[in-house]
Amino acid sequence: MTRLPQGLATTPLATPLTTPWWRHRRLLPWLVQGAVGLLVLVLVAFLLGNLVRNLTNAGLLLTWSWLHNPAGFEIAETTLPFNASMPYWRGLLAGLVNTLQVVVLGLIGATALGTATGMAAFSSNGLLRGLARLYVDLIRNIPLLLQLLFWYFVVFLALPNGAAAVQLPGLVLAKSGLYLGQPQLVNDVWQAPLRMSVEFASLLTGLVVYTGAFIAEVVRGGVAAVPQGQWEAARSLGLGQALTLRRIVVPQALRVIVPALNSQYISLAKGSSLAVACGYTDLYSVAETTLNQTGRAVEVVLILLASYLVIDLVISALMNGLNRLVQLRER
Amino acid sequence: MTSPAAATSTTIAGAVMIEAQGVEKWYGNGYHALRGVDLTVHQGEVVVIMGPSGSGKSTFLRTFNGLEEFQHGTITVDGITLGDDLRQIDAIRREVGMVFQQFNLFPHLTVLENLTLAPIKVRQRPQHQVESQALELLERVGIHEQAHKYPGQLSGGQQQRVAIARSLCMEPRIMLFDEPTSALDPEMVQEVLEVMRELAKEGMTMVVVTHEVKFARQVASRVVLMAEGRVVEVAPPDQFFSNPQHERSKQFLGQIA
Amino acid sequence: MVRQGPLRHLRRELFASRLDGLISVGLITAMAFLGLALLRWAVVQAQWAVIQANSTLLAVGRYPLDQQWRLWLLTTLLALASGLSWGLLRGLPRPDHPLRLWPRHDRIAVVLLVGLAVVLPLLLQLSLNIQMRWWCITGLLVLCRWAAGRWGQAIPRPWRRWVPVIWPLLYGAGLVLISGGLGLVRVAPSAWGGLLLTLLQASFAILLCFPLGVGLALGRRSALPLLRWGSVLYIEFIRGAPLITLLFLGQNILGFLLPGGLAPDRVWRAAWILTFFAAAYVAEAVRSGLAAIPAGQLEAARSLGLPLPQALIHVVLPQALKVALPAIVGQFISLLQDTTLLSLIGLLDLLGTARTVMANPAYLGKNAEVYLVLAVLFWCCCAALGLGSRALETRLNPNHQPAASR
Repeated sequence: MTRLPQGLATTPLATPLTTPWWRHRRLLPWLVQGAVGLLVLVLVAFLLGNLVRNLTNAGLLLTWSWLHNPAGFEIAETTLPFNASMPYWRGLLAGLVNTLQVVVLGLIGATALGTATGMAAFSSNGLLRGLARLYVDLIRNIPLLLQLLFWYFVVFLALPNGAAAVQLPGLVLAKSGLYLGQPQLVNDVWQAPLRMSVEFASLLTGLVVYTGAFIAEVVRGGVAAVPQGQWEAARSLGLGQALTLRRIVVPQALRVIVPALNSQYISLAKGSSLAVACGYTDLYSVAETTLNQTGRAVEVVLILLASYLVIDLVISALMNGLNRLVQLRER
Repeated sequence: MTSPAAATSTTIAGAVMIEAQGVEKWYGNGYHALRGVDLTVHQGEVVVIMGPSGSGKSTFLRTFNGLEEFQHGTITVDGITLGDDLRQIDAIRREVGMVFQQFNLFPHLTVLENLTLAPIKVRQRPQHQVESQALELLERVGIHEQAHKYPGQLSGGQQQRVAIARSLCMEPRIMLFDEPTSALDPEMVQEVLEVMRELAKEGMTMVVVTHEVKFARQVASRVVLMAEGRVVEVAPPDQFFSNPQHERSKQFLGQIA
Repeated sequence: MVRQGPLRHLRRELFASRLDGLISVGLITAMAFLGLALLRWAVVQAQWAVIQANSTLLAVGRYPLDQQWRLWLLTTLLALASGLSWGLLRGLPRPDHPLRLWPRHDRIAVVLLVGLAVVLPLLLQLSLNIQMRWWCITGLLVLCRWAAGRWGQAIPRPWRRWVPVIWPLLYGAGLVLISGGLGLVRVAPSAWGGLLLTLLQASFAILLCFPLGVGLALGRRSALPLLRWGSVLYIEFIRGAPLITLLFLGQNILGFLLPGGLAPDRVWRAAWILTFFAAAYVAEAVRSGLAAIPAGQLEAARSLGLPLPQALIHVVLPQALKVALPAIVGQFISLLQDTTLLSLIGLLDLLGTARTVMANPAYLGKNAEVYLVLAVLFWCCCAALGLGSRALETRLNPNHQPAASR
């Protein structure tokens, strides 16, 4: 510790050279960052160097031209028409469309189920409250993959076919698929305007039921976060239960719910990558097949990561827009 | 030592404890918080800094122990110049105690542990010795029977007294108080001011940012009025409160009266 | 509040209005119907032989039979350490709280443990030899718990402070016991499987992702821009990608990134990927905790002269981690569930082993039985972790006690 005599104190700006670097208040942060940056740089250079060397040796240096080669595999179920003679990129695109399809429907279903169950936690009916709690506690503690396998192998594949199929008004559940609209049995085969394969149906069901439990918690937490005084104030103004909920509680709860929903939506999108468990061909399973056929590991992984990143960003952007809308209502 | 009431800036004989010259500070957003502030505090002095909110008084106080950085000027505390040497900043922080408006007690530690943490970890003193000193200090501020409770179980006034004892446990040569009674319920203000009075009587060098006029009148050696990042007036309390020299001081006193 | 009889209570909860009554009747009917169907299936239709015949496979995979004594030894050591820690924890003096050696939930836990040790081996139709081993291990645990609670205080304090160290030591010893070395026959990771592999992967990732996550969270809140942006980039990149694509990356690209021969084998690759994956999520949990701590805490610590690392370790982190505890444990629970994804990249974790069992022609179509058992197992593990975190939370919160005694 240096004790300077009175009057000899110099300005802080003039001292840096007399202070050793390892305890210099303004120099040290830059030195630390420089050291960390250098370390990361060296690590990245090392990894990339290995990558380039190993890929060159394997004759797999980064190219994209193989995307135009015919894929040579079929995809069981696509919205975007695809067959084996079409190029790889088309197959990957078809997989992406399949993924988007299940994600969009899943988001709608999970939001509906989650909201209903979340609100059930405030029901005057004790049994309903208990069941909502049971659903959340049960579903959240069992792995999604296990649930998907369960829906596919135990529930949907066990459905009977033909006349024995489960028939509900406007809906028929059979092993050959889910038929919506006005299903009719023609030659022991169901026909309807809208058909869903059991693979798609089990994936969708699994994602909706799983994410619905998390969304239920988000909704419950959001509504519970609205102070009791708001309910009381609305009631003392003579507003009915429904009106209080719609005009007073929900707008305030949404401010808490919407930001939390974002991460649940993203986790549903990411969860859709487990489609392979239900035998549904999504982006990930097309990518896996593509890798097995071409050996183009780096390119395939890059495509995968980029696709999911874009999906996440789109969801986040939409939710941020929604969030702005919801938060603005405060003023 | 000089009796505080009789002291004026010219009659103090003690060594210089804090010397600030031309201190200027800009915040990251370009706000010019301190515009060339000078202040000298001598040993045993109690300097009270007053001023409207946003006048830079808390910022100025916080530069003394390096909680706020500044861009121009010099501050020398107990002979150590605040510069870019981290070791000197740590050395100053060991010698300077600080009491905050929001107490800032560590809620996960008991009262006793709050007091003993720094002396054990920083001064490397043996635990039993620090503990007996801490219990003594708690007795001095009148809360030794709460030593094993957690801060959350105490009243605001008690918490602030613990905070003072926590600083004292490091055996500082200077104590800084940043609006120590502003967050307290009215009935708890006196118990904290009483502890501060005792401390001043024992000769502790203190710099206090506060709005407590009565405390300033009774205890201060000098009162400093700050406004818009500058020192407007420095005067002994009698003179400051009864016959302020500057227009800005009169205006301020008119507002708080 | 006016005390109500159970009947009044039931009526208020279920039949408050006509609509409520209708809903209740509907729900009760549906539940009874479903419950009966499930019960009938479980007792009459289900063939549990698939579980009974494969219990060893599901537990440890293809771990060599003549080396399985090592796993028994490890289980015994774990039981001893658990009993010891549990007992000592109960014997710790707590401020403002009477010391109780056998609180009610401890007694319940012991009854549950003993019950499981008796019932489970019977249900699984294990041989008497194996049944007795489980009884002995459970007995040892309870005995150790009792003895440590009874006489733990007699151990001198400086010694007791070293007790937690037995856990990392035991973990190291466990790794050696499982994989071999130090005079033991090597058992390649490809032979580890079932619950053993699942627990190994989960515990490895949990232990390592925690310090990594804390570091990343501190980095993300650092004043140094490079550290901050580096942490943000890492966390957001990992959180943006599905785990399966990262595992895929680990299996297919890690080999290219490292010089030949340096890349770990498939099991360890997956373990590292799980670790790096979970670290990003733990970092976000810790960050939420750090954000809850007022800036004044760090300022107070710094103005007492504590250097930054000490201020973080003694003042900021203990508080932040306490706040973040439920979120962190939530991530650990997710991590345990995420280990099932290993089965998709061809590893034989619990789920992967189960799927090989179901692929066996002898057990074709026994999906429901196997998946149900797995679901129950995972549910119990995850629920136990959640319960543990809640218990720890109340224990760590010093402000809970005065509220209760007031």
